[in-house]
Amino acid sequence: MNENKENKVITDATEGEYKYGFTSDIDTDIIPPGLSEDVIRFISAKKHEPDWLLDFRLNAYRHWLTLPVPQWAHLTIPPIDYQAISYYAAPVKRNTPKSMDEVDPALVDTFNRLGIPLEEQKVLSGMAVDAVMDSVSVKTTHRERLAELGIIFCSFSEAVREYPDLVRKYLGKVVSYRDNFYAALNSAVFSDGSFVYIPKGVRCPMELSTYFRINAAGTGQFERTLIVADDDSYVSYLEGCTAPMRDENQLHAAIVEIIVEDRAEVKYSTVQNWYAGDAEGRGGIYNFVTKRGLCRGDYSKLSWTQVETGSAITWKYPSCILAGEGSVGEFYSVAVTNRMQQADTGTKMIHIGSNSRSTIVSKGISAGHSQNSYRGLVKVDKNAEGCRNYTQCDSLLLSSTCGAHTFPVIDVANSSAVVEHEATTSKISEDQIFYCNQRGIPTEEAVALIVNGYAKEVMNKLPMEFAVEAQKLLEITLEGSVG
Amino acid sequence: MSEFLLKVNNLRAGIDGKEILRGVNLEIRPGEVHAIMGPNGSGKSTLSGVLAGDPRFTVTEGSAELHGIDLLDLSPEDRSHEGLFLSFQYPVEIPGVTMVNFMRAAVNAKRKYFGEPPMSAADFLKMMRQKRAIVELDNKLASRSVNEGFSGGEKKRNEIFQMAVLEPKLSILDETDSGLDIDALRIVAGGVNKLRNESNATIVITHYQRLLDYIKPDYVHILYKGRIVHSGGPELALELEEKGYDWIKQETDQQ
Amino acid sequence: MTPAEAFGQYLELYKAAYTAKDGILSRLNASCAAALPGAIESYSTESTDIRETRTPALFAPDYGVNAGRIEMPADPAKSFRCGVPKLNSLLAIVSYDIFHATDTMTRGAVAGLTYESLRTLKDAEADDAEAILMKSIDTSRPDVLVNGLLLQDGIFIHTSAGTIVEKALQIVNIDAASVPMLSPRRIVIHAEADSHVKILLCDHSQNEDIENLNSQVVQIVAERGSKVELYDIEETNASTRRNCTIYADISDRASIVLNGSFLRGGITRNEYVVNLKGKQAEAHLSGLGICTDSQILDNRVTLTHSGTDGHSSQLFKNALFDSAKASFGGKIIVTEGAERTDAVQTNRNLLASPDARMHTSPQLEIYCDDVKCGHGAATGQLDEQALFYMQTRGIPREEAVRMLTQAFMVDVVDNISFEVLRQRLHILVEKRLNGTSGSCDTCATACHPQSPEQL
Repeated sequence: MNENKENKVITDATEGEYKYGFTSDIDTDIIPPGLSEDVIRFISAKKHEPDWLLDFRLNAYRHWLTLPVPQWAHLTIPPIDYQAISYYAAPVKRNTPKSMDEVDPALVDTFNRLGIPLEEQKVLSGMAVDAVMDSVSVKTTHRERLAELGIIFCSFSEAVREYPDLVRKYLGKVVSYRDNFYAALNSAVFSDGSFVYIPKGVRCPMELSTYFRINAAGTGQFERTLIVADDDSYVSYLEGCTAPMRDENQLHAAIVEIIVEDRAEVKYSTVQNWYAGDAEGRGGIYNFVTKRGLCRGDYSKLSWTQVETGSAITWKYPSCILAGEGSVGEFYSVAVTNRMQQADTGTKMIHIGSNSRSTIVSKGISAGHSQNSYRGLVKVDKNAEGCRNYTQCDSLLLSSTCGAHTFPVIDVANSSAVVEHEATTSKISEDQIFYCNQRGIPTEEAVALIVNGYAKEVMNKLPMEFAVEAQKLLEITLEGSVG
Repeated sequence: MSEFLLKVNNLRAGIDGKEILRGVNLEIRPGEVHAIMGPNGSGKSTLSGVLAGDPRFTVTEGSAELHGIDLLDLSPEDRSHEGLFLSFQYPVEIPGVTMVNFMRAAVNAKRKYFGEPPMSAADFLKMMRQKRAIVELDNKLASRSVNEGFSGGEKKRNEIFQMAVLEPKLSILDETDSGLDIDALRIVAGGVNKLRNESNATIVITHYQRLLDYIKPDYVHILYKGRIVHSGGPELALELEEKGYDWIKQETDQQ
Repeated sequence: MTPAEAFGQYLELYKAAYTAKDGILSRLNASCAAALPGAIESYSTESTDIRETRTPALFAPDYGVNAGRIEMPADPAKSFRCGVPKLNSLLAIVSYDIFHATDTMTRGAVAGLTYESLRTLKDAEADDAEAILMKSIDTSRPDVLVNGLLLQDGIFIHTSAGTIVEKALQIVNIDAASVPMLSPRRIVIHAEADSHVKILLCDHSQNEDIENLNSQVVQIVAERGSKVELYDIEETNASTRRNCTIYADISDRASIVLNGSFLRGGITRNEYVVNLKGKQAEAHLSGLGICTDSQILDNRVTLTHSGTDGHSSQLFKNALFDSAKASFGGKIIVTEGAERTDAVQTNRNLLASPDARMHTSPQLEIYCDDVKCGHGAATGQLDEQALFYMQTRGIPREEAVRMLTQAFMVDVVDNISFEVLRQRLHILVEKRLNGTSGSCDTCATACHPQSPEQL
């Protein structure tokens, strides 16, 4: 690589690094930092919530107070002052917008810059979008068309108002507020999120999508997503995440709960691109997320696909509880870490139903001074006959200063199970790079090419619109990672 | 004792609740060679599997007797002791178990079944040497794990070698010709012919006439949709070679 | 019982019964006594899924200690006869924790080899042994400290530079106590540059109904270009608990082989702490476990590559029957700068009963990019197709299961380059699966007379 090119790469990597790092100039309704029962009552009142939901929040809060911060992950997490975070930041709304004209133009501009097809004309590609900015759901598109099929796709607060029985029936049933420290915190202070209900026998005709964006400074984002797929239904759900560059760390502690009934199928795809902090590790999002699906129905299927490129610290284990007979769980993950990023991510597959099957494919790519860990659990219950799991877990190392770790746990209590785990860790092949170079492909591009090939198995699982974006993100994240 | 070595009567069987054999009738006398032909998916391998006792298949109706003994009542190993041998279409690889240990276990289990003492190591090795010659099986294969790393031809030769060692009364050769080049085919068929005598019988399951040039059948049966729809002499195989299976399909499907 | 109670009881015992102040072992006892309270304080529950093999659980029963060094009734050195044909080893017997030399050792003395009790060492060798004992006190592990705290004997094996010991050094541990006892055992192995030594450990228990805990610590120092092989066969009984830790430090171009066969026992925990410090250091670990009834086996490996061009392999296999439980926890760490490391780890398990249970956690922690590391773990059952194939050849199902189980284990045994032992282990595994082996198969002492034909 010649010197100019090298300089450019370094410049790109250190200055032009975070494409989505702009802030929006929007009035924000924000409460002072701090957490107490009063703050929770304030959030609940602000959202006109019923008493049962306030009780749920308060119970979660009281439980949270008793919990220690989890230390078991392979992460170095600086102490977080939970009293220094503001737990509610909503863009100021005049009224609930009825049409695009009523949406704050600055907000529309934000989403346009993010490339989200919020305006109806732009949604011909067939995507229904629920945009969550800071913690409040801003606008859901394509509502009418979905409503005709009986599909409910709305913000969480709206669901609480319009479908309180459904929400109450499913809220906290997969991820209890007692589950873990961050789940308890979220359950106490969550401000909004998305709610999806697919009725019996309905195949959702378009991808449902949520874009999350943290905008206000000094806030955390605590959203909840609840997806219920009733018997014989199908839905593909996409989640995208971005946040502006700020030099303090921001906390994102979300919960995603999914319930899959008989023969239903849910595909949940995430492209996570939270701000990762600068080259010295200043700033960036702490992404501490609890995602779990319950395949309650027989022959139900839940598939998680994630491309994790952002966040300063990622702590995330999208999991499947395979309770139904013949239920299927899948986890496809690409996690890229560069500079000072830390990721501890993986999955749990809990086989309770007989003949349940699961597949795990995890591809970790570490560069710079980052630490990238896969952590997984495959558990086969004593009474679960004929279960199968296949796990493949590969790590690619792009620098001599990064770390790649694998911590799987396999626990089999039924003799008819077949559980296989394969893992490899290797350096990017110099032969491959040289071969590319010889054919005229510069090293930087060659690395992107090889990494994309390496991650292809997972990228192929993403819906088309997302795959292109995810591929670009991989390239951006890895810029300047090879010297 | 029955005049028939094998008597199959209205045999119905399937896998996972799906019926594959829908009433097969077949009678074989000692000394005979029967060929069973038929298009893909007609049930040929199911028939051999059911007769050998493959636990994946469930018999729902009918009977099968080997020299008067109810075959369907026996475990696979007892069927073997009673003289049934199946040459597998896809011989199973068993890493870590050497051919010598495998065959010694088989031979001694049979001797035990008939109340005989185990064979001495010297006698056993001598017998192995003799039998190997029948299919020109390389001595080196004997010290390797069962079928592991064997070529397609070696696997099939190994099947016939085992047949020679176990001296069955009824041998079922399931697509023994698949994956064989012409030289291997000649060796395998030559081995089978050397083992033929007045008191044993052979069922040759195949797609093609080719193998039947080497192992001459007395009878040819066509299996289609789980039934034997046509039986005849060796000329039937030639007719199939010429005309294909379509006429059989048409004829049967019209009925 | 809390960790403080489980381990603390031995500190009380030490204070009350150990009076000697001189000698290597007394100094070791004292320094372990000083370190133990801190280790108990900072002990955090291990992440193993099997509760029974957590160290506080193993040490919790109220075991006695042979503080007065009372000889066990029979003199095992006189009655022992080796069950491995043609082994022709240099045999030592450890009864309870007391070292007995046999005349094979005097007859087979090799120049450059020291092979004797830690109690009788003198001068330079005593200093050498003490340095190793003291230097590597692992102050984070209460179980290892309790071993050092109560240690009154042990074995020192030293090979001077360039010494090649042709014969195997065989150490037979025999439990013959008639009351529940904790036997602290220690083996210190120091292989100087370019020397080569192989050691065979055999564990036996005599009293089926007496609960014992064998606490064993092995320390291996393999210097430049040396080779140390350690084979370990456990054939004890259901009332035996075993907690064994093997530490190995490997220098430039040195290599070690650690092979463990669990054929019979009660609850066993084997822990391997292997450090490949030198350039081109090599470590090959393997283990097989055949667990029936309610036997429990837990193999744990922490293998660290800190030198460049290191090579390590691990192959652990378990076959679990009845309500047996096993666990494998293996961690490979490649530190920054350990370039061109090649490390591979394989764990395969056979669950042959509905009540058996397997817990596996193979881990990789890698801080260096130019490495080739892989691990594979699989838990499953025998291949039904292969079973059917064997049945069609007339092999009864039970025998087919036994043959396939043996075949499943075969590569662990085949890895053993020590030929006499390899052949012997093939037979032992077969006998174990047949259910025809006694508990003293490898090392037939006169208390269990067996003719060679039976073996």
